[in-house]
Amino acid sequence: MVDVTQHELVPEHRLLGEDEIEEMLTEYDVKRTNLPKIKRTDPATPDDAELGDVVEIVRDSRTTDRAIIYRLVVS
Amino acid sequence: MSTQAPKQLGGIEFGLMDPETYRDMSATKVITADTYDDDGYPIDMGLMDPRLGVIDPGLQCRTCGQHSGSCNGHFGHIELAAPVIHVGFTTLIRRLLRSTCRECGRLCLTEDERGEFRDKLTRSEELGDDWSDVMKSAVRQARKAKSCPHCGAEKHDIKHEKPTTYYEVQQVLSGEYSNMIAGAMQGDAVGDEDPDDVDRDPTSPQDLAEQTGIELDRINEIVSGSFRPREDDRKAIERALGIDLTEEDMNKLMASDIRDWFEDIPDSDVETLGLESTVARPEWMVLTVLPVPPVTARPSITLDNGQRSEDDLTHKLVDIIRINQRFMENREAGAPQLIIEDLWELLQYHVTTFVDNEISGTPPARHRSGRPLKTLSQRLKGKEGRFRGSLSGKRVNFSARTVISPDPTLSLNEVGVPERVAREMTQTLNVTARNVADARQYVRNGPEGHPGANYVRRPDGRRLKVTEKNCEELAEKVEAGWEVNRHLIDGDIVIFNRQPSLHRMSIMAHEVVVMPYKTFRLNTTVCAPYNADFDGDEMNMHALQNEEARAEARVLMRVQEQMLSPRFGENIIGAIQDHVTGTYLLTNENPRFTETQALDLLRATSVDTLPEPDGTAEAAEPYWTGRSLFSELLPDDLSLEFGSSAGDTVVIEDGQLVSGTIDEDAVGAFGGEIVDTVTKMYSKTRARVLVNEIASVAVRAIMHFGFSIGIDDESIPPAADESVDEAIAEANSRVEDLIESYRADDLESLPGRTLDETLEMKIMQTLGKARDSAGEIAETHFEDDNPAVVMAESGARGSMLNLTQMAGCVGQQAVRGERINRGYEDRTLSHFAPNDLSAEAHGFVENSYRGGLTPKEFFFHAMGGREGLVDTAVRTSKSGYLQRRLINALSELEAQYDGTVRDTSDTIVQFEFGEDGTSPVKVSSANDGEIDVDKIADRVVEAEFDGDTEKERFLGEREPPTNLSEYAGPGLDKAEGMEVKSDD
Ligand SMILES: [Mg+2]
Ligand SMILES: [Zn+2]
Ligand SMILES: [Zn+2]
Repeated sequence: MVDVTQHELVPEHRLLGEDEIEEMLTEYDVKRTNLPKIKRTDPATPDDAELGDVVEIVRDSRTTDRAIIYRLVVS
Repeated sequence: MSTQAPKQLGGIEFGLMDPETYRDMSATKVITADTYDDDGYPIDMGLMDPRLGVIDPGLQCRTCGQHSGSCNGHFGHIELAAPVIHVGFTTLIRRLLRSTCRECGRLCLTEDERGEFRDKLTRSEELGDDWSDVMKSAVRQARKAKSCPHCGAEKHDIKHEKPTTYYEVQQVLSGEYSNMIAGAMQGDAVGDEDPDDVDRDPTSPQDLAEQTGIELDRINEIVSGSFRPREDDRKAIERALGIDLTEEDMNKLMASDIRDWFEDIPDSDVETLGLESTVARPEWMVLTVLPVPPVTARPSITLDNGQRSEDDLTHKLVDIIRINQRFMENREAGAPQLIIEDLWELLQYHVTTFVDNEISGTPPARHRSGRPLKTLSQRLKGKEGRFRGSLSGKRVNFSARTVISPDPTLSLNEVGVPERVAREMTQTLNVTARNVADARQYVRNGPEGHPGANYVRRPDGRRLKVTEKNCEELAEKVEAGWEVNRHLIDGDIVIFNRQPSLHRMSIMAHEVVVMPYKTFRLNTTVCAPYNADFDGDEMNMHALQNEEARAEARVLMRVQEQMLSPRFGENIIGAIQDHVTGTYLLTNENPRFTETQALDLLRATSVDTLPEPDGTAEAAEPYWTGRSLFSELLPDDLSLEFGSSAGDTVVIEDGQLVSGTIDEDAVGAFGGEIVDTVTKMYSKTRARVLVNEIASVAVRAIMHFGFSIGIDDESIPPAADESVDEAIAEANSRVEDLIESYRADDLESLPGRTLDETLEMKIMQTLGKARDSAGEIAETHFEDDNPAVVMAESGARGSMLNLTQMAGCVGQQAVRGERINRGYEDRTLSHFAPNDLSAEAHGFVENSYRGGLTPKEFFFHAMGGREGLVDTAVRTSKSGYLQRRLINALSELEAQYDGTVRDTSDTIVQFEFGEDGTSPVKVSSANDGEIDVDKIADRVVEAEFDGDTEKERFLGEREPPTNLSEYAGPGLDKAEGMEVKSDD
């Protein structure tokens, strides 16, 4: 089976620690449920992600070189 | 004056209505189907009962005592003789029937499962997902249960026959059971089994008795049909013989059964399914009381012949009441069950069509004329329905529409408004001590004079119409505190729009210039954002009605504020067509002008003194060059360098055009370099002045040189014509060679292509080259001052291809990217032999437009042309729909002050607007080089101020004035601190 996470078009997906999540939520003044979502079954989601975790995605951007987005893991 | 403060809507809750509430809010019970008595008075407790509101002027509402107009009407109610199902809830009813227990009414889920679904509900609410997905999966789970986990009762499946019939499906012993068993014991196929598929050994009664454990005598009784086996025995026999002895029994559920069933469902179970039990008890989906809409919602109209014509809803209510009465009479008379059921179904039909008359599978209720009735759903649904037709698409007051025409003397911020429109659209003038004289003059001029007034409002709130007769008298009475609705005058701000409104520049604010005649006039430079031309286009104008709207329009929506397009971040307003030709003629060969000519060119600009002459001609007369005259329009400290579409490099140093041609790339709409730079580096106001002045100088210039185009401008010498013919003849012979080698099977196919495809490609290629070489020959014979060449070179209009098609050769006509291959069998036209592969026979037009096409060529040309027309027609409708969907999907997204983009429920869509947090119109459009913001800021601040204190004060806060009317200052004031110093 191909591991898509290793593909060059799939950006880095990193699980956030609980304190990092808190920091990010305060920074954006946002509730966890108001973050964009990612499915736990999504091939790009880290394997140890659980429901309610937050994934940080660092991807290439056309307007800035690097864009950071956060996604909430949902079922 | 209204003193109500605006309030915020906390939320809207939707639910079902309790029958008791229907009764409570009812003004009267309706029992008679009749509407009016012989004298024309509404009948008591009839459908037009005066307690339901009044529509006839003069009558008084018996509920609220008000007269028609003030009374909004009141609901009544009909007590239905038997419960009926509300068609709006048939799916929900089906789901509840399938997921709950018939005996105890409870949801057929275990405690664990219920907890799980409740959790899912909370989560889906938090995530903003669709809760009905949770309900669906809960129903699916509960439906699987064979028996109720609470009382153990057997669960039957529910069959839903649309729209409103439900059956309980039970498996019962077939009436044919004895024959089936006997048949199976002989080894035959039984029931609906296929004889070919069945391979069954005969079974003796003894064997069967042994296998099933039933006594032999019983078996014999069963086979003879004198004893019906019970369930256990039936199953044993089925297993032994491998047959199915059951058949489906459909037990119809009456609405009353369903209502009783739903009453048993506990609140907690209702909530597990995601419904709010306080506002949505399931039994309320089965109607026992029907609300009667107020008469004001279904007014009757009196026809010319004095006959009353009732609303469709009233007709439907009449039907319902009639059937309701018949039902009750029959039931009291003890009519047979069959008749009762028929009437019940009829009642259900009428109530169903009262709610929705476009249910599939149900014949719509019709008017006597055969027209389907427009009932409740039909009033709301669709394009002309209440939502899309009446709420989102309202007609507005203070709007005008007429044909547009160009006026180059207007500023691009202005719009010419016909006097007749100006007299109709008004602005409210609050009279104060300072303007009372003006106000009186407006009123004195009356509604016919301009600028006059149409209405006045006294401080006591009374509105008076200004007429020709009373205007003098009224003018004397006007005092401070009055309001005068005066006509539009020069300088008023209005909103101007051309459909289709595809981007925000389709609606912009303009300043009014009242003009004679009947068209809206606009500066030709705003054609680009509106996508307008003057071949009969019409546009809409809206007069703004309060100070807040006027201020917003002036600051945010004025044309000059829309100079830059958010689509590509460059200017969308600029020189077009003849403006571009004009600046090209003015600057390309840098012609000389005498003093008179130079002054004439600049006469419509703010430049009132000529610069130092560029030199002196032979007769000792000073002259000015086109470039230095153009430079007068530029900001004094502008420095730029870029390539022009004419092919040279434009160099601007300190506001002087040193070299280069000013054309589309410099001043054009859609990213003209100079306009773009001035807008971004100086100000919108400076850019407005620049565009206005470029346009007027360009028009003066093109008038100075004279510019026209005629058929002779596209002719080439006979010798050139001959060489074009030669080139085409050569191509023709090469095509013949190709065809010959194809027929001789000598042609080698290209990789991945068939032989036929290869031939077609090579022919196309050859003919394409022929057209190009014909074009090249023609091109060499055109002078640089040829008007078509000037237009193509400058980017004003047209291309060299257009020109070569006119003078050289039109070329291959194509449909779907191929040579023309359609028409008759094996040929395109009956003029050709079958299977003729030549250039001529497949749409190659070797003539030029000027030379004229042959009939065959003309026909092929029309085929190619039609494809283009069809394509655009299809594309516009497709892209229109796509755009509508995109807009609906994105309309509620909003960039927040913290830089994130969120929807209305505060869900983040982008963590930073556009990922870089910048607005496309505030960014340099230069392709290369980093933007050093600090350096730019330093440079600007340094240049602006001498002292540190001034600089600091500036850095505190200073917004450039974007909202000054052109009328506020001397006509063409440049942006603050940015004056073009004409000379001296
Ligand atoms: Mg048009
Ligand atoms: Zn009333
Ligand atoms: Zn039960």
